[in-house]
Amino acid sequence: MSTTLSDLPPEMRAFTILKTSASFGPRLGSLALPGRITLETPHYLGNTSRGAVSHISQDNFRKNTSIGGVYVALEDFVEKLPRQTPPLYQLESPENSSSLRDFIALPKDTLLVVGARRIPCIPCPTANTNSALSIYTSVGFRQISAEDYAAASQKIRPDIVVGLADIPYGQPQPGLKRIDKMSDRTEEWTKELVSQTHGLDKTVKAPRASYQIFAPILPLTKELQTWYLDHLIDDMLDDISGLAIYDAHFLADLPAQVKDLPRLSFDAPSSPGAVLYQISLGMDIFTIPFITEATDAGISLDFTFPPPKSEVSGGEDAGGKDTLGVDMWQSEHALSVTPLSINCSCYACTKHHRAYVQHLLSAKEMLGWVLIQIHNHAIMDSFFAGIRESIARGTFDQDKLAFEAFYEPELPEKSGQGPRVRGYQFKSGQNETKKNPAAYKVLNVPEESSSEAPTPDAVAADLEKIGFAETAKP
Amino acid sequence: MAPMPSALSYELLAKCSVTKARAAILHLPHGPVPLPIFMPVATQASLKGLTPEQLEETGCRLCLNNTYHLGLKPGQATLDAIGGAHKFQSWPHNILTVSFQMVSLLKLAKVTEEGVKFLSPHDGTPMLLTPEHSISLQNSIGSDIIMQLDDVIATTSPDLARMEEAMDRSVRWLDRCIKAHKYPERQNLFCIIQGGLDLDLRKRCTKEMVERDTPGIAIGGLSGGEEKAAYCKVVDTCTSLLPEKKPRYVMGVGYPEDLVVSIALGADMFDCVWPTRTARFGNAVTSTGVLNLRNASFQNDFTPVEEGCTCVCCRPKEDGGLGITRAYIYHVAAKETAGAHLLTIHNVQYQLNLMQRARQAILEDKYPAFVKEFFGKLYPDKTKFPAWAVEALNGVGVDLLAD
Ligand SMILES: [Zn+2]
Ligand SMILES: [Zn+2]
Repeated sequence: MSTTLSDLPPEMRAFTILKTSASFGPRLGSLALPGRITLETPHYLGNTSRGAVSHISQDNFRKNTSIGGVYVALEDFVEKLPRQTPPLYQLESPENSSSLRDFIALPKDTLLVVGARRIPCIPCPTANTNSALSIYTSVGFRQISAEDYAAASQKIRPDIVVGLADIPYGQPQPGLKRIDKMSDRTEEWTKELVSQTHGLDKTVKAPRASYQIFAPILPLTKELQTWYLDHLIDDMLDDISGLAIYDAHFLADLPAQVKDLPRLSFDAPSSPGAVLYQISLGMDIFTIPFITEATDAGISLDFTFPPPKSEVSGGEDAGGKDTLGVDMWQSEHALSVTPLSINCSCYACTKHHRAYVQHLLSAKEMLGWVLIQIHNHAIMDSFFAGIRESIARGTFDQDKLAFEAFYEPELPEKSGQGPRVRGYQFKSGQNETKKNPAAYKVLNVPEESSSEAPTPDAVAADLEKIGFAETAKP
Repeated sequence: MAPMPSALSYELLAKCSVTKARAAILHLPHGPVPLPIFMPVATQASLKGLTPEQLEETGCRLCLNNTYHLGLKPGQATLDAIGGAHKFQSWPHNILTVSFQMVSLLKLAKVTEEGVKFLSPHDGTPMLLTPEHSISLQNSIGSDIIMQLDDVIATTSPDLARMEEAMDRSVRWLDRCIKAHKYPERQNLFCIIQGGLDLDLRKRCTKEMVERDTPGIAIGGLSGGEEKAAYCKVVDTCTSLLPEKKPRYVMGVGYPEDLVVSIALGADMFDCVWPTRTARFGNAVTSTGVLNLRNASFQNDFTPVEEGCTCVCCRPKEDGGLGITRAYIYHVAAKETAGAHLLTIHNVQYQLNLMQRARQAILEDKYPAFVKEFFGKLYPDKTKFPAWAVEALNGVGVDLLAD
């Protein structure tokens, strides 16, 4: 499915549109960067935390996933700023390779996309300034200037850098003055990124940056960011290789000059249905927080696109829709030797069964989340492959309708506890989310207990409950 | 007593000409394993987030499960329905199940001849766990090596009478375990020698246990906070009385220096949760000691966790490894579980590799030199060598302090 193009001249546009319907609607494309796996679009990027897809160690990433590209947030690496140079910046890698890629042990052909903030990000109490963006690191709130961001990009050399966007997260609906500022600052910051790499002054013979720039498109109407968009098109178009879209609805208003650029969604979809909706608007590439959210909740994703045909007629009654995932916490799986999903060929489904996964979750063994995460990414791989085939066939609209008729609109609510959540990790319900916020329970795992054994009371109670020990004769 | 069927064979390959160290192959129902061996502890049928394949890749072919934990979760009914622990956790290699270790689990329990009695916390009803329960559960688990239920009390207990009672009772419980064992032709029951730190009790117990002729023999009740010197004396005393052609398992031991010394004292098999549990806190086991990679001094250290280590985490990219650095482990330690998985892989492989190097040295009859090199790396200053190790090794003909 994916091939590596290593001989593509850099001046060639990396993104090719293979099929598009009129000016607005689902489209097929291909993002091919030299030396990297070609990402057939629509596609998604693996969402990382501190350089790793949650629960997936780098060897498992290679062996048991087909993730072709990842999104990495710089805020995961710069907690020492500004007092101290972040360790990542001190790693020297050969000229033609990325120190970030080396540091996080990402395979050499995996597409590496960097942005400033995690997705979803934790709102910062301090506002952005004219020159700096507020970020949240594992040790607290910090700021990173547009200059530093550009310098960092030069230093760590990812494949794609997403420009900084001035979005007042966690603050009340911005007024017109603030909106003007958003647009002004985002323009300045994007300019900074462009000029640091290549130079707006075309007479400067600085070497072209090794990375591509995706310009942010703010979650505002076209009118409210006209000034920024005009400058983007007039002054920076040659240096922009893609767009990062914060509100998918903007796709309807996209200026013609940037229509051929790849579109990366920063408008985190809450469900597979929301992914389909954004694709119907013409979105190309996604970061999808609900994959890991489902994993953390112990929910193994279970859907295909298009939906299974045979059952379509039966699934249309109210309440008769299929769920998008299976809650693996449920004890009904305790004796089930079936895979997480019947037709899935992922490692978890071919080597293990529901009974084991259910056991691992209830025993709070980390492997439970590892297996579900591997599976959930495999489900997304097939989902996107199905989407691309559907667009190629020209049946996307009707397949989307069938999907909506077949499946429930949202993922199932979580019932079990998730793994331990760290401060820098986004917790559901903390930010404005479209999904019903489900309270995350932070597991208070003691640091290092002297024994793995439960307390005697718990032992006795449990033993008794399962009838393992017998009642002693008095 | 009729000889007990055995589902293993112990193939002795070499004996150290100086110490009591042995190199062997232990043929078990799920394949051969090299001795001496370190066995990682997958308490609840899973090792700290590693897939069975990841564990396999470290070279592990024999890991531990905990009988008691599996008895609670998933429970005997599930294990019976699924066909045992191998199928349950998709582990095609050998499993050893340790028993209940009542001493740590049931502080409130009262041990009687029948079994272990305790009061239900719900309604105060007396409950009873017996040797027969333990064996029945291990039969359901289907582990390749099963352990008898024993009466364990802390080695540090001053109550010699109670110690003797526990030792005698463990012998009687072994007889009940042997009688209850349904599948001796496919599961190997190991006895457990008790007797605290009293060498006379240990000798008596060893004699009794050896007479029962189980396929393998464990030395139990140690690693409970006793003096290392006393520990060594017990191991040394027991191994001297054990038949040559049976594997000897010292339970709950796993610090690298303990392994190296215990091998010299004639022990073959070891288990410990420490190397894997400690990975989660950023501790890397290396030949120069334990490194806490959460320490800020490692944040800019772009060398592997251990130079030359062949684990997938440390091995350079050019050699098909990940090329993970100490700085990256610092970056993720105690923050991302993936970081713990990487370090767990390293620590397990370190332990297995240590055993393999020890074994190679025994095969080449160079174990004393190996021991010296090992301690020399761990403690560059000879005066820092632990006294107990110097003494114990002296007892088997190795002068650690000599040049
Ligand atoms: Zn699967
Ligand atoms: Zn290593």
